[in-house]
Amino acid sequence: MCNNFREGFTALLTDTIDKDHRNEIENHLEGCADCRMEFDSLKKMWDLMGTVPQPEPPEAMQAGFSKVLSDYKEEISVKKNPVSDWISKLREYWSVQPQPGLAFSVLLVVAGLAGGYLLHKPGQSSIRYSRQIDSLSAQVSEIKQAVMLSLLQNPSASQRIRAVAYTDEISNVNLKVIEALFTTLNEDPNVNVRLATLEALVRLSDEPQVREGLVRSINLQDSPMMQLALADAMVKLQEKRSVKSLQMLLDKKNLNNMVKLNIEKSIQKLI
Amino acid sequence: MDTLSDNVLMLKVKNGDIVKMGLLYERYYRQLYRFVFNMTRQKELSEDMVQNIFLRMLKYPEGFMGFGEFRIWMYHIARNAVYDHFKKVKRVPVHSDVKDYEERIEGGEYTDDHLEKEQELKILATALDKLSDEKRELLILSRFEELKYSEIAGILNITEGAVKVRVHRALTQLKSNYLNLEK
Repeated sequence: MCNNFREGFTALLTDTIDKDHRNEIENHLEGCADCRMEFDSLKKMWDLMGTVPQPEPPEAMQAGFSKVLSDYKEEISVKKNPVSDWISKLREYWSVQPQPGLAFSVLLVVAGLAGGYLLHKPGQSSIRYSRQIDSLSAQVSEIKQAVMLSLLQNPSASQRIRAVAYTDEISNVNLKVIEALFTTLNEDPNVNVRLATLEALVRLSDEPQVREGLVRSINLQDSPMMQLALADAMVKLQEKRSVKSLQMLLDKKNLNNMVKLNIEKSIQKLI
Repeated sequence: MDTLSDNVLMLKVKNGDIVKMGLLYERYYRQLYRFVFNMTRQKELSEDMVQNIFLRMLKYPEGFMGFGEFRIWMYHIARNAVYDHFKKVKRVPVHSDVKDYEERIEGGEYTDDHLEKEQELKILATALDKLSDEKRELLILSRFEELKYSEIAGILNITEGAVKVRVHRALTQLKSNYLNLEK
């Protein structure tokens, strides 16, 4: 008889039990001293386990995986090298059907190509061109960055929003741009500019420092709009580190009620 | 805004956007480290194993179908890694962790309470070590990792009812181990 109840004791401790079952067990516990003793000793065990300090991973581990990731990237790029793939296919074909006629025609084509190459010497000029193109595109990217950074200082809010939108066109966003965006996010007087900046930053969230910066920004924002948008962004990025900052925000005295409700919901989603 | 949920990220990895695995790593390496360390009680081994678990998910993403939860699949792979390791080395009960706990408790006041607590935790660690791997794992998952019964059921491929019964048995066994050691 008692055994039926006892199987539910641990469920009672873990709170994974429906209301009816809980009431049933609690009622039984009130009447049965033996079971109460058993339950108390299990509870003591369970609570003691809760005080076991949990190990924290060494700090180097956080960065450690990026090396594993880049090594792996290299590994598959070697495997998928198209040239060697082609050669091996060609070889297969060759070994199956040796055809002197085909060999001769291939030889002719090669000779023709070599002749053309020798006559024209396109090598140097094409390398020169591609170098020029490279340096041009690098310059364009630099110019875009400079334009964006100076537009961010513009007194007109709409110009600053344009500047923020410009980040999408900069091919490789560097630290300088990210820092400028965060300064805007945290200090710009206009809410719309800050909102646009937040959106741009969320698109850059593959960068770890962007995610860290966003978490830090939560407690720097006074406008309800921004607080809401940041909380949404945290849910989108599933950034669990933000929970602490969001909770700190909840403790602020003059917090808008709507914001409060929404942030509580966001925290729920994050935990 | 659509959420960059674990599943969305993992499906992206599966489609070749392997950088997204970095995000998943950031979300879960602490949790997995805790799990692996609690199972193996060895620091360096746990470090390597966690990275290998993520590498395995990167190399064999076919296993992730996308309709189950990513976390459950991740724990599946983590368990396999842990049990493979157990098979390879003959298990010697390691108590290295006890020292680790002591280090962490130190720094508080050196009172009787403190000593008593230290003693209790030492006995608890030994009592945990005396459990079978399966029982220890159940308690680690439900108590230390704080997973729901439904999640544990998914990870172990058993019903929720079975999880309930087994966790209870594991806790009862732990209690009797503890009481025996306390004598």
